[in-house]
Amino acid sequence: MIAPDTARLSPRFRAVPLAWRNLVANKRRLLRSSAGIAFATLLMMVQLGFEQGFFDASLSLVRAIDGDLVVTSAYKYRFGTRDPFAHGFLDPVRSVPGVASAAPLYADWQDFFWTSPSDGKPYLVRVLAFDPAGPTVLSIPGLTALQSRLDSDDAVLVDDRARDFLGMDTNAGSSQINGQGVRIAGRFSLGPDFMSDGTAIMGDRLFAKLLPGNRDSAANLPIEAIVVKVAAGSTVPAVQNALKAKLPDTIDVMTKAGIVEFERKFQAELSSAGPIFWLGAIVGFVVGMLISYQVIYNDLSDQLAQYATLKAMGYKTSYLVRSVLAQAALSGLAGYVPAWLLCLVVYRVIGVFALLPLHMNLRLTALTLGLTMGMCLIAAMLAVRRVVSADPAEIF
Amino acid sequence: MTYEVEARGPVIRAENIDFHYGDGDSRNQVLYGISIEIPPAQLVVMTGPSGSGKTTLLTLIGGLRSMQEGRLEILGRDVSRLGAAELVRVRREIGFIFQMHNLFDSLSAIENVRMALQLGPFSPSDRHARAREILEQLGLGARIDYKPRALSGGQRQRVAIARALANYPPLVLADEPTAALDVHATRNVVGRLKGMTVDQGSAILMVTHDHRIIELADRLIHMVDGRIVSDVVLSDALRICEFLKGVDTFKSLTPAELTNIAEKVTRRHYEPGEVVIREGEEGDELFLISEGEVEVERKGHEVARLGPAEFFGELALISGEPRNATVVATTPLDTYVLGKNEFRAAVQQSATFREQLRRVYFQRH
Repeated sequence: MIAPDTARLSPRFRAVPLAWRNLVANKRRLLRSSAGIAFATLLMMVQLGFEQGFFDASLSLVRAIDGDLVVTSAYKYRFGTRDPFAHGFLDPVRSVPGVASAAPLYADWQDFFWTSPSDGKPYLVRVLAFDPAGPTVLSIPGLTALQSRLDSDDAVLVDDRARDFLGMDTNAGSSQINGQGVRIAGRFSLGPDFMSDGTAIMGDRLFAKLLPGNRDSAANLPIEAIVVKVAAGSTVPAVQNALKAKLPDTIDVMTKAGIVEFERKFQAELSSAGPIFWLGAIVGFVVGMLISYQVIYNDLSDQLAQYATLKAMGYKTSYLVRSVLAQAALSGLAGYVPAWLLCLVVYRVIGVFALLPLHMNLRLTALTLGLTMGMCLIAAMLAVRRVVSADPAEIF
Repeated sequence: MTYEVEARGPVIRAENIDFHYGDGDSRNQVLYGISIEIPPAQLVVMTGPSGSGKTTLLTLIGGLRSMQEGRLEILGRDVSRLGAAELVRVRREIGFIFQMHNLFDSLSAIENVRMALQLGPFSPSDRHARAREILEQLGLGARIDYKPRALSGGQRQRVAIARALANYPPLVLADEPTAALDVHATRNVVGRLKGMTVDQGSAILMVTHDHRIIELADRLIHMVDGRIVSDVVLSDALRICEFLKGVDTFKSLTPAELTNIAEKVTRRHYEPGEVVIREGEEGDELFLISEGEVEVERKGHEVARLGPAEFFGELALISGEPRNATVVATTPLDTYVLGKNEFRAAVQQSATFREQLRRVYFQRH
């Protein structure tokens, strides 16, 4: 007679977890498959982490702009290229109602050579400049407190997160830019991106003095961007519309969020960087899919008679497919978790040595988890055809 | 909890089944006009040489192959017309025992059995207990949590048998189920299978050459070259043997000779007044009276009356001449009938039988 059991939540009353049992039955095989899937997942995480780090680094400057609206040349296809416009547009901008402040930002990426205090060699750096007596235009850690030091005609602030070879993080008190001596008045933290190894910030007068071929004084210096702060009581869209109405078509007015998106879109869609990183991620995906397929296919081949027996007993093919997919998803998880943990270490190492802001976040976690599950499930769907075609009549 | 097979018609009813593999030049017909009917509560053993079509027939009956020609009813459903999804439902009512155990190495013995129970009538809370029960009945109570790799070949096969029997199937199909079992385990398994036919009314169709099972079978079907060449209900055969031993003509035959004749005999019933053989017709059958009485007439005159344990019709078979008398049933009549070919084969094989017939022949002339 069957004795009634009472513990209804006991595993003995649940359906037999076939997928899980099949996954963990052979520890050595599980280790091998997890290692393979983890390798592929790590490859995807690193590639997508690079992409994210690339975007973060590329966007760090525009994100640091301390204003509600940014006025730039309408011909700019990205913020990080030199495309200045005439200084004469500054006054019309300031005259628009609702503009609390409008401060010019000068920038250059191609003309300033910084002599490294470490090795004495000149290196191309990014230079940003503004009127030190005016409102703040950039919100960078360490910068606001040092802004007043830029009053001096030879003072520069340098980036202590610049690449090592620039020597900006040493205790050196002076160096040269474009062959002229400059005094290092302080350090801020911004970090390099994929175009610039480091950044120097200076007052507009020194910028005018050091910019090769420049004949203008700071008062007439072509402007890269005007950083606008909107007065209390006015709305950003209203002021943006008013500015657009006031300025010619050759000048564009973007919100802070708009210019961040403008830069992101360029990096993702127009530059070759985005596709390159995705190509790397796709290679990881395909490698992982092949590894996963091989593991699942071998496993199914070993147990084909068992699956055919289940069919003979009356299990529907859909049950067998679900079981194989569940096993694939579980194997994906078994590879994903160690890959995620290992990735934290890899990001840390790359962050330290390459000064790239790589960090695992929810987006990257969800994206790579989805890709890992996808590669395992696609592999399983290809391999499961073997079970679908298994003929129960053949086992007699 | 016990289950009984619902009272209904035959568990298996096959009519004129033909089956072939391949087409065109590679067409290979493996079954020819197979017709059988297996009622509930019968342990049927199917024998035959390799390639005789036993396994193909088993897979057709199990709903594992699609029918080509003929009609097949399993558990009252015409499976020759069912689609794949309905065949799956039919298969859930069949217990399959394969020559290979085909257990999942990743699952314990009890989990392998529970895989079958998940498809059956048991509630989730009863499945574990039922799996334990059937494993204990098959002598594996101490091994329920063992993985197949930790079990002997015989133990694995018993787990597979437990899996097939767990849901009290009304039909069990088995292919050499005891091949891997020792004497003790075989006795246990066969006893359980036999018990299922008696207690639950299950029908069991089994391919085996294991004499320990054949001895317990209710019926023996022998196949050769895709045809059923013999289909003997053994209890009938025993009854016929007992009957033949009581008949003078046959009583000196050896048991083997009696069995040989009994296996070839078929039963036939006649109502009072019905003519069994007619004078002047060609004679091709020998009749043994089991129950009832007949009147023997020659040219319209009664010449004899015959009753139980007497036979008639042998003269035409021996001489090859037409029937020399008409035989009419005077009461409800049950006869055992031996065809001409079977009769001659029996005569060829048994000198004693030949001698007995010669004596009767000369007495009647």
